[in-house]
Amino acid sequence: MQTSSRRWFGHGLYLVIMAALIAGVYFSGQKINYSWHWERLWPYVINTEPQDIIAQTDGTAVVSASGQLSITPDFGGSPQIVPEYDKLVARDGDLIFQGDTIARIEGWRFGPIAEGLWVTIKISFLSLIFSIILGVIFGLMRVAHGQVWRNLAVTYVEVIRGTPLLVQIFIVYFFIGTVFDLDRFTAGVAALSIFTGAYVAEIVRGGIQSVPPGQMEAARSLGMSYAKAMTYVVMPQAIKRTLPSLAGQFINLIKDSSLVSVISITDLTKAGREVVSGSFAPFEVWFTVAALYLLVTGSLSWAIQRLEKRLAASD
Amino acid sequence: MTKSIKQEVLIQARDVDKVFENGCHALKNVSLDIHRGEVVVIIGPSGSGKSTFLRTLNQLETISSGRIEIDGVHLADKSTDINKLREEVGMVFQSFNLFPHKTALGNVMLAPLKVLKRDKAEVEQEAKDLLYRVGLHERMGHYPSRLSGGQQQRVAIARSLAMKPKALLFDEPTSALDPEMVGEVLDVMKGLAKEGMTMVVVTHEMGFAREVADRVVFMEEGELVLEESPERFFNSEHPRLQRFLGQVL
Ligand SMILES: Nc1ncnc2c1ncn2[C@@H]1O[C@H](COP(=O)(O)OP(=O)(O)OP(=O)(O)O)[C@@H](O)[C@H]1O
Ligand SMILES: [Mg+2]
Repeated sequence: MQTSSRRWFGHGLYLVIMAALIAGVYFSGQKINYSWHWERLWPYVINTEPQDIIAQTDGTAVVSASGQLSITPDFGGSPQIVPEYDKLVARDGDLIFQGDTIARIEGWRFGPIAEGLWVTIKISFLSLIFSIILGVIFGLMRVAHGQVWRNLAVTYVEVIRGTPLLVQIFIVYFFIGTVFDLDRFTAGVAALSIFTGAYVAEIVRGGIQSVPPGQMEAARSLGMSYAKAMTYVVMPQAIKRTLPSLAGQFINLIKDSSLVSVISITDLTKAGREVVSGSFAPFEVWFTVAALYLLVTGSLSWAIQRLEKRLAASD
Repeated sequence: MTKSIKQEVLIQARDVDKVFENGCHALKNVSLDIHRGEVVVIIGPSGSGKSTFLRTLNQLETISSGRIEIDGVHLADKSTDINKLREEVGMVFQSFNLFPHKTALGNVMLAPLKVLKRDKAEVEQEAKDLLYRVGLHERMGHYPSRLSGGQQQRVAIARSLAMKPKALLFDEPTSALDPEMVGEVLDVMKGLAKEGMTMVVVTHEMGFAREVADRVVFMEEGELVLEESPERFFNSEHPRLQRFLGQVL
């Protein structure tokens, strides 16, 4: 009873402190005469304005009896048929010039912030996959018997961990990217994967070394090859032990992905910068961007926690 | 208990020497023949090289010099497939070494599935039969963390048997167990001996040695000191053995 009421008191106090913090933000805004315009932000996330349908050639508008709109080009060629619209702008027989608005359609499309979010998710996801592959390969090399493998793996890990990610992104983009003719996106994914892979390799190595050597011996004495013993006996245990640190590393990866905006990839951060200059609502934009990052990182840690629970069945 | 031992040699160790990288001379000129269907018990003080010797027999440890032959195949030959050889010589460890991420049944099934690539339904049936044999069919869905030490060791024995080995090596299989669980593991081992399994057992259980062994071997400081039938062994006047038995009994 005592502990339960204390816990409720703790929750209550927490809510009070959080409310105070939010109020603090609000009043600081007031103090510098900041006027909040959350509504200005919305079109940059999801744009619900009717969209213009544009004429692709010079020509004449034709509206058939059934209401179908098409443009017959002046100088021959097949007519531009507008399959769907909500409001006509051009009328039957109008002279139309290329680029004119001929109709409008209701609907919505993603604004730059949503598109930036999507790019961030894509980059993070691809980098996560590749960093796992790199991390497992180099982690295994790190514990291999051959000295060459161990040296190579140590070099990779030390070089990557000893240099800033920002510098690595520039090197990958301007040097490797030029040599292999990589586009920005690929270069961004490559840099992030190589960077995160080094940390994953260290985590994997630690995981493997934390599995008692008796496991490998038992597997080998059953006739398993080194590779099979690793695959079916050591790695499953190692991964399970390292899931919490891997989760942390992947959350870092999502946050680090904001650095790729320096090579002009329009991710969530760069979209935020662009929208700030168009919307004149910097606070709203940056709060929203932060909340979206939190949403992505939160989902990831939730997913990994689920996985951990599933794997905990054998504890 | 006397058993007619076929005189066919299954495991042959000749002049085996083992020097570890740190200079420790763990095995000195050890020679031993183990016949098909025979139970050989190895005893000796701590650090005498019993585990090391056992581990050389299935190549968990390489040897510095000498020769080991298993069913006519040289271990040192470059052409020898060590993995294949390890399938044929199973090992049971003091610390069980069950795979913690697999159930009892999963532990028994893993090697036949992944190494021999056998049919799953068939492997499962055999695994269940094996667990029945060691008295654990009711716990086959349990993870090792939910099993007692004795139960874990019995699963480990079933796991080794699943590969249908020609011989089983036991390295102090009961030393990590609470006293009340020693009996259940020894009973399983006695059953195996009766069925004619070739076994090499390192143990401090003198009762087991007396009752089940066809031969008892005494090792000390890396040397094989004495090798006798149980009756002669335990009546031996050998001073080094006397000293050791005086300490343990
Ligand atoms: N990997 C190793 N590296 C170096 N020395 C080792 C290694 N393994 C064992 N030794 C040494 O070899 C000797 C024999 O060890 P071994 O484990 O075979 O003894 P044992 O008879 O099994 O003893 P116990 O009854 O304590 O298990 C010991 O002196 C030990 O310190
Ligand atoms: Mg030992």
